[in-house]
Amino acid sequence: MPGANGKQQPRSVRDIGRRSERLAHVAVEELMPLPAPYDVSEDFPGIAPLKDETRARYGASATLDDTLAAGIPQPATEEDERKIVEAFLSGLRKLFSRENNWTFLQPLVLSMEHCARCQTCAADCPVFEASGRNELYRPTFRAEVLRRLYFRHVKPGGAWYNTFHSSGLELTYDLVARLFELAYRCTLCRRCAQSCPIGVDNGLITHDLRKLFSQELGWAPKELHNKGTVQQLTLGSSTGMNKLVVKDNIEFIDEDMSERLGWEVKTPWDVQGADMLVIENAGEFLAWPENHGCTAAILNGAGLSWTMSSEIAGYDGVNYGLFYDDVQLARVATRHFRIAKQLGVKKIVMGECGHEHKALGVIADRVGLDLVPRESLLTLVRDIVYSGAINVDPSRNDFPVTLHDPCNIVRNMGIVQPQRDVLRKICPQFREMTPHGIRNYCCGGGSGFAIMSPNNFEQWRNLISSRKKFAQILGAFADTELNDPEQKKYVCAPCSNCKGAIRDMLDFYGAKEKSGIYYGGLVELVVNAMAGAAEPILDWEMM
Amino acid sequence: MPDFEYNGKKVVVDEDGFIQDPDVWNEELANALAQVEGVDQLTDEHWNIVNYLRNYYQQFGIAPMVRKLCKETKTPLKRVYELFPSGPAKGACKVAGLPKPTGCV
Repeated sequence: MPGANGKQQPRSVRDIGRRSERLAHVAVEELMPLPAPYDVSEDFPGIAPLKDETRARYGASATLDDTLAAGIPQPATEEDERKIVEAFLSGLRKLFSRENNWTFLQPLVLSMEHCARCQTCAADCPVFEASGRNELYRPTFRAEVLRRLYFRHVKPGGAWYNTFHSSGLELTYDLVARLFELAYRCTLCRRCAQSCPIGVDNGLITHDLRKLFSQELGWAPKELHNKGTVQQLTLGSSTGMNKLVVKDNIEFIDEDMSERLGWEVKTPWDVQGADMLVIENAGEFLAWPENHGCTAAILNGAGLSWTMSSEIAGYDGVNYGLFYDDVQLARVATRHFRIAKQLGVKKIVMGECGHEHKALGVIADRVGLDLVPRESLLTLVRDIVYSGAINVDPSRNDFPVTLHDPCNIVRNMGIVQPQRDVLRKICPQFREMTPHGIRNYCCGGGSGFAIMSPNNFEQWRNLISSRKKFAQILGAFADTELNDPEQKKYVCAPCSNCKGAIRDMLDFYGAKEKSGIYYGGLVELVVNAMAGAAEPILDWEMM
Repeated sequence: MPDFEYNGKKVVVDEDGFIQDPDVWNEELANALAQVEGVDQLTDEHWNIVNYLRNYYQQFGIAPMVRKLCKETKTPLKRVYELFPSGPAKGACKVAGLPKPTGCV
C-alpha cells in the first residue's frame, strides 16, 4: 500500500487483514545509509523479487513484504481458510490461559494491557531503523495486531470493546498468514523491551505469536523445528551429527589442536562424577572447530575436571524451542538436566552460545524439577585467565579487536563484564562498539534468522536486520584503515548464532576483502595468546 | 517443493535450491547445479572437493567439517571460496548433491 511519502507500507494496523498484492516494500535507497566504502548502492542491489511460482504457491503468506521466511501454502478453498482462522482463534485463547501458557502468561497480559503508545521502543529497534522506518517493522505494529485481537476475542467484554474502539481489525485468513510471517521479521533482541518505560515486551509478544503458530497450527520454519529440535531430540543434534560422527569430529579437532599448540589437547567423554558437564553448540564442531579445540585447551590447561556427553542432545546445547515453541524448549532442557544428573556433575557449563545461555540458564528454571547449577563459559574463562592457571602473552593478539554482545547473554542475562575483563587482559587494541553492553545491537541473526535462508531471506537479513550491526562494526574500526584488507581486524562474537550472522554479513558486504574484518569467538583469542604455542591459533587464511 | 530444470529434465529441490533426493545426483546434474552457484566449468580441483563430499556423506550421512574438508583435500579455505563463491556449505555441498547443512553452522 503506497503511503503519503511514496513508501510502500501499511497505513494502519487494519491493512494487515485486507487482501492486497504486497503490504510493504523496502527500496534500496530507503535503507539506512552505511559509511564508505559501503555506501555505493549499485554494489548492493535490493532484495531480489520472490519467484512467481513461490508467490503463487504461498499465496497470502507471501504478500507481507519482499521476502518469505517460512511461508504457508495457500489453502485450496475458503473452507480451508476458515478452519485455519478457527484454529488460530483457539490458539489465541489458549495463549491467555494459565494451563497453556505456563511460561509467560503474566508478562504477556501486562504487555497487552499497558502499552502507552509512546513509541520509545521504535527508536531502539534496529530492524525498523535499518529499513528506513518502514511502518510494517515498527515494533508496535505487530504487537498492536495481537493486542486488538486480544481485546476483541479474548478479554471479557470484547464485543463491547469493539463497538466503541474503532479498531475494526478483521480476523481474516490473510491476517493470520501475514502475521505468521511477521512474527519472523523480529530477531527477539528485546532492545525495545529494555527501553520501554512501562516494561511492555514486544519481543515476548513476538515469541508468543510464534508459539501460538507452532503449538496450535504446527507452523514453524523447518530449520527450527523439523531440522532443529526434532532432529536434536531424535538423532542427537540439530546438525545431524549422531554419536559416532560427533566423536569422530571431536577426535579430529583434538588432534588438530594438539598439533598446532605443540601439547596434547584431549576431550573427555561421558566421565561419571566429573565436576562439570560442558555443553556447547554443536554447530561449532562443524563450522568453527577451533572454538571447541580452544575451550578444551583452556579447561585442560587449568587442570579442571570436565566431561562431554555423547547422549542424545547431550553434546548439542542449542535449544531452538526458545525461538518458537515452549513445549520443545521444555523437552530439550529437561534432557540436558537429566544427562547432567545421570553423570553426577556439580554443574553444567554453557559454551559460547547465546540462546543456550538464555534457554538453559534462565527459562529452564520454569521447566525443570531436577535443576542442576549452570555456569557461563565466559565467567569460567575469566576466572581461569585471572587465576594464572594458564600463561598468556597479550602481544600475540596485537591487532584491533572489538566485542559483539550477544543479546541473550548480555542484555537478557546481564553477563556483561567477564568477557570484557578477558579482552582487556589479552588484547592490547581492544575497543568497544557504540553503544555496547546491554545497549548493544543484535547481529541480525537472532531468534534463528542466522540459520534461515529460504528464498531471498538471507538478502533481507543482510540488508535489513544485520545492517545496524554492520554499521556498528565499521564504527568500532573507524580509527583503523577501512580500505586496507592487510590490516587484520577481529570481531569477537562469543555466540555461534551471532558468528553465523556476522560471517554472512561480512561476506555479503565484502568486508574481509575490502577492510580485512574477520570474526571469531572469545576462547580463540585466549588460546592465541597462550605463551609457548607452536603456531598461532588464529589462522587468517582459514577464517 | 520447487523443481530444478536442466537439459530438459527436472529434479525436486528445496527453497534453497538443494536437491531433495541425494540418489538422483549425477555428473550432469552437478554441472547444472554448478552454473547456479556461479561456477562455469567444473575443473579437476572442483571434482576433488565434490567427490570428497559425496564419499564422506555416503559414509556418515552428513557433510564433513569444513576444516576436515580443507585438510583432507589439501585445499585452503580461501581456495574453496574461489572455487565455490558461495562457500563450502552452500556452494560445494549443493553441487555435490548433499542436503542443506542444518543447525548453527
